[in-house]
Order: sequence, then C-alpha cells, then structure tokens
Amino acid sequence: MSVDPMAYETQFFGFTPQTCMLRVYIAFQDYLFEMMLVVEGVMLKKLDGIPGCKISPSQIRKCTERFLLFMKEHFDKLFAKMEEVLLQLVLNIPKNVLLPEDRVQEQYPYSKEEFQALQDELQQLQQQYRAEAAAEQALRAELEEQEAVKAELEKILQCFDGLENICREHGAGNFKESFALLTQSSKKLQDVLKDVEEKSKKMKQHDQLM
Amino acid sequence: ADGGGGPVLSAAPGRAQVFATVVDTFLEKLVAAGSYQRFVNCYRCFYKLQPQLTRSIYDQLISQLEASIKEEIQEVKNEGNLEGLFSSLDKIVEEAKDREEPAWRPSGIPEEDVRSTMVPYCLKHRSYLRSVLREKEEENRKVAESVLMGRDRIAELQQLIQARQQAWQ
Repeated sequence: MSVDPMAYETQFFGFTPQTCMLRVYIAFQDYLFEMMLVVEGVMLKKLDGIPGCKISPSQIRKCTERFLLFMKEHFDKLFAKMEEVLLQLVLNIPKNVLLPEDRVQEQYPYSKEEFQALQDELQQLQQQYRAEAAAEQALRAELEEQEAVKAELEKILQCFDGLENICREHGAGNFKESFALLTQSSKKLQDVLKDVEEKSKKMKQHDQLM
Repeated sequence: ADGGGGPVLSAAPGRAQVFATVVDTFLEKLVAAGSYQRFVNCYRCFYKLQPQLTRSIYDQLISQLEASIKEEIQEVKNEGNLEGLFSSLDKIVEEAKDREEPAWRPSGIPEEDVRSTMVPYCLKHRSYLRSVLREKEEENRKVAESVLMGRDRIAELQQLIQARQQAWQ
C-alpha cells in the first residue's frame, strides 16, 4: 500500500483509492477460494458415488491446496501490478490539476490579514449604514414636528390676516388704533379697580378696629 | 472513450478505457496461469479416474471465476459512479494540460482553506453595503436640506406673527 493518503483523489471520488483496491482484492480472493471449495465438493461427491474408490478426501484436499497456492501467488502478483497502474493512471489527479470546485482557492488567495481587513471593512460599512439610518429617523422626526409647528403658526397668521380683512371691509382704518387705545384704557380701569378694592379693604379693617 | 460518432478522437485513452483494459488483462493473465495443464497436474489422481469430468469442472471454474470478477468490478463502478467520474476527470485533466505549475491542494487546516471560499460572498456583500450606504447618504442629504428650509420658514412665520402682534399693541 502506498503511503500517499491520496486525500485530493478521495475528495473527488468520494472514496479512498487504496480502500477501493483493497475491497476489490478481498472480493476477488473470496471468489477464488469459494470456487475452489465448489470444485472440491463436486469431485468428492463424484468419488462418493464410485464404489471401491482409492482416492481419499484428504488427497483431494492436498490437490486443492496445491492448486490454490499456485493460483494465489499469481493472483497476488497480477493484482499488485493492476493496482499500481490503476492508482497511477486512473484513480489519480495529476499535480497540475485543480478541481473546479476549488477554483476560488486560486482566484482569491487571501491571507489571514487580508481576509481580516475585508471583514473589518464590512463591519465598518455596516456601522456607517446604521448611523445613517439613525440620522434619517432623527431628520424625519424633526420634519414631522416642523409640519405641526408650521401649521399652528400659519393658523395664527391667518387669524391676524382675518382680523385685518374685517377691518378693511368695515372701513374702520383706525380700528387698530382704537382697539389699541381700548386695550390701554381697560388696563387703566383694571388698575383703578384694584386700587379701589384695596382702599375699601383698608377701610373695613379700620372700621373693625374702631 | 467516445462510443458515438463524435468527430474528435482523444489522443490518449480515457480513464474508463484504461480501467477496462487493465481489468481484462488481469483476468487474461490469471486464467493463463491457471491453465488446464496446471489444473490437471494438481488433480492428477482425479484426472486419471474422470478425465472428461475434470475438463468440465475446470471450464466451469474458469467461467464462474471470470463472471464473478467482472460482476464485482461492475458493482464497484455502479456504486461509485465511476464511469461518470472518469469522464469528468478526463475533461478536467485535459483542460489543465497547458499548465505546468502544481495546483493548489488542501492545506489540511479547514480555517485556512475556507477563507478563499468565503471571499466572493464577502466581496458581493461589500459592494451591496457600499451601494445602499451611498443611497442612504444621498437620501439624508435631501431630507437635511428640507429640514433646514423648514427651520427657515418657521423663523420667517414667527417674525411675521411678531410684526402683527406689535401692530395690534
């Protein structure tokens, strides 16, 4: 048996070439032995049927052993030659041959460092993407808020514009001024009311003390 | 080897052909060694008694042995799909015929060998990530623009409202 484990051939064939040869050798040998036993059996049976036969079964056995020994010798020699040829020419993959399934090995011969660099790059890209996705969420959230705020502000503006239109329609150009004056006077009135309230409170207290 | 009418003939016999030839040669030589003469020499006592039966026994022995051996070979070929594998291997070897340097072989260390098989997937993944990242960055740039515009607009509205408020004071 060769020492070469023929691992690449095993990868291709799905079995170890040497194991295959061994299996075949054992099978052939078994057949040879079986056949010789059958031969013996036939002869012994025939001799049984012959009365006064001088040939003993042990003689026949000796004959068989002689023939078998001879056959086995030739068998082993011939088989060894056959095995050699098969392992060299048929069940082998020449050194310069790369199996198609291994093409990537020669297409992308990345070293440990190069591969690690590639992995790092992928991780970095993923992080960057996640950051962009988070930024997107924040931006869209603000956009939504802005819409709401804009809507409110525009409503308020509309209110003001509405008031102005009413003023214009009713020809009260000074309405703004009068309204402003009104606002001021009502403020003054409120202050006066407050004063009066305080004074009357003080008077009541004074009365109680008296 | 090609059985059909292919115009291309292989210069050297294919593996299947060699296999068949080698097995046939083995059988031939084995049968030649176990000749009838040799058989008779061993079983001389029986031969003297029953010459014809001896011949018939021998013939059957040889034919049975040949048949069993051929059957075993056929079984091995069927089980291992050897015919198909032989012709595939022949093609692969033919394609590599111009190449002299030894080819890559498994290092025996799975972690080393699996790297190259993963690289094509990693490269694809990288180009995918790069393109979706670019898309997302572009999208965000546009949205950021809208956000800035929105802020300006809100500031503008606030100013207008303030102006109105003052006018009504």
